[in-house]
Amino acid sequence: MELGLYLHYGPALVSGFAVTILCWIAGSLGGMVVGFAIASLQHWAGRPVRWLLQAYIEIIRGTPFMIQLFILYYGGPYVGVVLGPVEAGILSFVVYGSPYFSEIFRSGFESIPKGQIEAARCVGLGEGSIVRRIILPQMLVLITAPLTNFVIILSKETAILSVVTVPELLYQTQTMAAETFTYIEPYVALSLFYWLMVVATTWLGAKVEARVTRHLRRA
Amino acid sequence: MKPETLPADANDPIITVRHMTKHFADFEALHDINLDVHRSEVLCLIGRSGSGKSTLLRCLNFLEQYDGGEVRMGGQLIGWQDGPSPRKPLPAAALRDQRKNIGMVFQQFNLWPHYTALQNVVEALLRVKKLPRAEAQARAEAALQEVNLKEKADSYPASLSGGQQQRVAIARAIAMEPKLMLFDEPTSALDPELVGEVLNVMKKMAAEGMTMVVVTHEMGFAANVADRVAFLDSGRLVACVPPAEVFGTEPADPRIRAFLQTYRERNVV
Ligand SMILES: Nc1ncnc2c1ncn2[C@@H]1O[C@H](COP(=O)(O)OP(=O)(O)OP(=O)(O)O)[C@@H](O)[C@H]1O
Ligand SMILES: [Mg+2]
Repeated sequence: MELGLYLHYGPALVSGFAVTILCWIAGSLGGMVVGFAIASLQHWAGRPVRWLLQAYIEIIRGTPFMIQLFILYYGGPYVGVVLGPVEAGILSFVVYGSPYFSEIFRSGFESIPKGQIEAARCVGLGEGSIVRRIILPQMLVLITAPLTNFVIILSKETAILSVVTVPELLYQTQTMAAETFTYIEPYVALSLFYWLMVVATTWLGAKVEARVTRHLRRA
Repeated sequence: MKPETLPADANDPIITVRHMTKHFADFEALHDINLDVHRSEVLCLIGRSGSGKSTLLRCLNFLEQYDGGEVRMGGQLIGWQDGPSPRKPLPAAALRDQRKNIGMVFQQFNLWPHYTALQNVVEALLRVKKLPRAEAQARAEAALQEVNLKEKADSYPASLSGGQQQRVAIARAIAMEPKLMLFDEPTSALDPELVGEVLNVMKKMAAEGMTMVVVTHEMGFAANVADRVAFLDSGRLVACVPPAEVFGTEPADPRIRAFLQTYRERNVV
């Protein structure tokens, strides 16, 4: 290992890491928000809307992420959607992630016994309160682990963004490798950064899980 | 079980049901139901499984949409907009306002497991009645006191017995000060030794003048506490009479006789 290389390429790697984190967090949060909206609509909206959403879910889940990214970035301009690489990266993450997130949320919704919701309606609670106060806190218990898992999967999918020249971690790593004809140094750094993301996500997931299961342990 | 002096308007119906019908797809679950429940009255609904007791009860607070006829409370049509047919359901806020006046207790308790007993009761006081927290807390504690569970205020449902859970569910309903209480087999999910504590709370409520409609298989409760007993058979209200006419002498209707026979065979009545 030539540690001296890091002196020179460190800043580029760190900036790549920052871009990765940005795409990953913005994409995950956006995907969760859209996924939650989809799951809610599937729960409450009428049949045509539900049918359309189901089609969206099937199509997105049935195609590889890289193809979706290509279509958005290279195909977008043909229909007037011109995006920079980072914007395209984030948006494609939202598109790609939302059906998976929505399925996780849907299973959460379905896990709450109907009687609890009827009891809430009987005391006059509104639908908003029912979601926030009755459904969400309980379904978080169930979905924290699958959510954490999928966010970890997404963290590694960010590597694909390099194919549309997003200056993320893998892109910077490959640049370093190409310019210095080294492999160990760049890819050790790369692995370390991904490992950091996974560890941080796992830690956060455990924290959230501990918080949302308080009532189960204090029983 | 009634207070000595009834209020002057004791005979006003709290809720009136006229020509109500309910279908599930093509199946007619309720047929031309007519019923008045009066202030401070305890009405027990009996009938065999599948006769439509739960459906009737759930139509009263629009958990099920009845399709024909009317249910009125204080003159207001429940659930539907008053007007020519085809009628539209009330906006959500208006339905919530109606439901605030109708408490309901379920066979499966339906407590919210992530909240303590007190939080279960406080929730709607805060968010529906919009009481300040201190007042909501005080009123919730008083409701738990009513069902003799003040000391369990901070327990989660999972750590309570079935009887205790059902009493918390009753406290949650009465804290809202409803004009009418609906009970759907409140003791059917309980171990036999826990039935009494729930029935005692209900008897106390009846004695304090609460208007109650109770679906029950507890014939003793129906015989002793009810002012009237309504018998449902295949979605039809066959009789709605004082309990003595059902349990005292031989009831005239053969369907009621056959129904009670099954209980006699188990030495319940
Ligand atoms: N959601 C529903 N969809 C279709 N049919 C239903 C539905 N709910 C009830 N039914 C039918 O309506 C009839 C009356 O049901 P209901 O639950 O009111 O009976 P019940 O008298 O309460 O019986 P039990 O004593 O078993 O609780 C039954 O034949 C039942 O199968
Ligand atoms: Mg029933």
